[in-house]
Amino acid sequence: MYEVTMPKLSLTMETGKIIRWLKKEGDKVEKGEPILEIETEKVTVEVEAPASGILHKILAKEGEEVPIQKTIAIIKEPGEEIPEETVVEAKREVTVPTAEKPVERVKASPLAKKLAKEYGIDLTKIKGTGPGGRILKEDVLRAVEEAKAAAAVTVTPTPPTPTPSVEKAKIVPLTGIRKTIGKRMAQSLQTAPQLTITMEVDMGEVVKLREQVVSETEKKLSLRVTYTDIIVMAVAKALKEFPFMNSRLEEDKLKLLEEVNVGVATAIEDGLVVPVVKNADKKSLVEISSNIRSLVEKARQGKLSIEDVSGGTFTVTNLGMYGVDVFTPIINPPESAILGVGRIVEKPVVKDGQIVIRPITILSLTFDHRVTDGAQAAVFLQRIKELLEKPFLLFI
Amino acid sequence: MAKKTIAYIDAIREALREEMARDPKVIIMGEDVGLGQGAFTVTKGLYQEFGKDRVIDTPISEESIIGACVGLAMAGFRPVAEIMFNPFMALVMDPLINHAACYRYVSGGQVKVPMVIRTLVCQGRGAGHDHAPFYASWFMHIPCLRVIVPSTPYDAKGLLKTAIRDDYPCIFYEHIDFYPRKPNLGEIPEEEYLIPFGEADIKREGSDVTVVAILTGVKASLSAAEKLEKEEGISVEVIDPRTLAPLDKQTILNSVKKTGRLVVVETDFKTAGVGAEIAAMVVEEALEYLDAPVKRVATKDIPISFTNEKYILPDEQAIVKAVKELVLK
Repeated sequence: MYEVTMPKLSLTMETGKIIRWLKKEGDKVEKGEPILEIETEKVTVEVEAPASGILHKILAKEGEEVPIQKTIAIIKEPGEEIPEETVVEAKREVTVPTAEKPVERVKASPLAKKLAKEYGIDLTKIKGTGPGGRILKEDVLRAVEEAKAAAAVTVTPTPPTPTPSVEKAKIVPLTGIRKTIGKRMAQSLQTAPQLTITMEVDMGEVVKLREQVVSETEKKLSLRVTYTDIIVMAVAKALKEFPFMNSRLEEDKLKLLEEVNVGVATAIEDGLVVPVVKNADKKSLVEISSNIRSLVEKARQGKLSIEDVSGGTFTVTNLGMYGVDVFTPIINPPESAILGVGRIVEKPVVKDGQIVIRPITILSLTFDHRVTDGAQAAVFLQRIKELLEKPFLLFI
Repeated sequence: MAKKTIAYIDAIREALREEMARDPKVIIMGEDVGLGQGAFTVTKGLYQEFGKDRVIDTPISEESIIGACVGLAMAGFRPVAEIMFNPFMALVMDPLINHAACYRYVSGGQVKVPMVIRTLVCQGRGAGHDHAPFYASWFMHIPCLRVIVPSTPYDAKGLLKTAIRDDYPCIFYEHIDFYPRKPNLGEIPEEEYLIPFGEADIKREGSDVTVVAILTGVKASLSAAEKLEKEEGISVEVIDPRTLAPLDKQTILNSVKKTGRLVVVETDFKTAGVGAEIAAMVVEEALEYLDAPVKRVATKDIPISFTNEKYILPDEQAIVKAVKELVLK
């Protein structure tokens, strides 16, 4: 028994259409003799018998589209008995759609391809209306509109049907801390109308102060006081003077908190934690500094206790060491504000009519607009600026 | 700014006269340019005004005209040569390509070759293979040559004055269709003006397809655009680069980024022609903005005979057809 299969005549050929059988069942055929005509997307060709014998069974009718390499006829040797099941089996194979379809080359204009990528449209799923079925810009834009319309209809509580993604991606399940950060940040932005104001601060005096403090504390206490420590101290003092910034909004009441507990956002390997300096307004610089050092150390080792990270009333987040100047930090709920600290960088500034080079940092204050307004927040930020530009005020 | 109406041919003469009056180093050379007034009267009156030492009638020897110009230019003059018909440019290739184009660069800037060659595209008159062809792409191909293709009186005057003052060899194309006065009137400022090289002119704004056209192709494209707008509702943007070298790529690219489709119209031969270069540039720099293949409307790749121009030169109809093929399905 010999099977006649749909030949693959070109690299891109996937199916062939049976135009005409030149032999009928029961006819004698010679190897190499044309027995049928097929049509591909390019040409019409004759298919030759793969072997001599009798055309036993025709399994694909004229006009039928048949995938390549599928059996379309059976040739038997004279006298050979072929069980009906074999024929049926072969025939079924013909009609069963092939599982692994060769990758289709999509005809689309470069612009259509670019737009499809931008909008995440699968080009194999849309019909081109250009010459030769080429997908054009307008075809992609139509698909985008249709997808939008479809999305609008399916906004219901039922879980969305999974759509096949066009992008290959490594799946990273969100667990533990990432999930918590995501939830809390989303909750913060969804509930609080937040805005960020920024202000430049001349850090010259702080730089000097820190050098002097470090030269004392490094040897005696093996403690290197950081800029963050000094900023936390300034923030704590300012918070005491501006209680609405040290507050918690509960429904229609604003709770002005007695304690000033300043959280310090700390990057750890898999996320971010905010250990809290309790009663920062009552602590000396050295106390704040050593408190933060031990909290950061614990954070890096994953040893922070619930106590260490709760009770915060305000957060300071410093991205200066990563070269960031200005950013829009998100409030750490249920607090009412957060201060972002940029890098300290030497800049030319005008002082008393002269251009001088000063170490400048930019502070970014995000606050909850339900709690206060831009003008009051600006006065608070000005006070922090003043405390940093005249740091002796911290000790009065 | 006060304006006046002027014909193309007079705009060219005005540019020549102004530059000669401004700079005694500007001289004219060519066959019949002096007593003969130029084959098409472009230089009429200049011989009488500036004398035989500045408007020089030459023998019929194109290579010697351009060879002399190269020497004069290196010696500090600013010669403006007339090569009567563009195909005669084949005779001047050695002094122009191997010498004039290269000297400034290879001498490390020690010499300059500031010269202009005015030459005529004489298509559509049955003038035949040795008068009619337009070979702009030959010169676009050579580094340090300027290729100038003005299609209006305003562009002709402003660009010729810039060419005369430019320190590189400039090929300045005129087209026989632009010489009759009546259909080629245009407005120019009364005051002196110059047009910088490399600044395309958007002759008509549109949103569906960009047509880049030069010389007679500009007018044909504008009337094709009008027809397409009226009959098919297709909005065509027409851009005249005005200089092919340097080429204002940015204006062309910006337009293609807007329309997604490009047709280039020119009367040079299609293969390796002006359109081929512009098409390749756009494909190279803005492929992902193209929504259709680039079309070139150009002269068919057949020698131009005394009788075949109406079959092989592109016309308004060919532009309409190309645009429709890109825009309609």
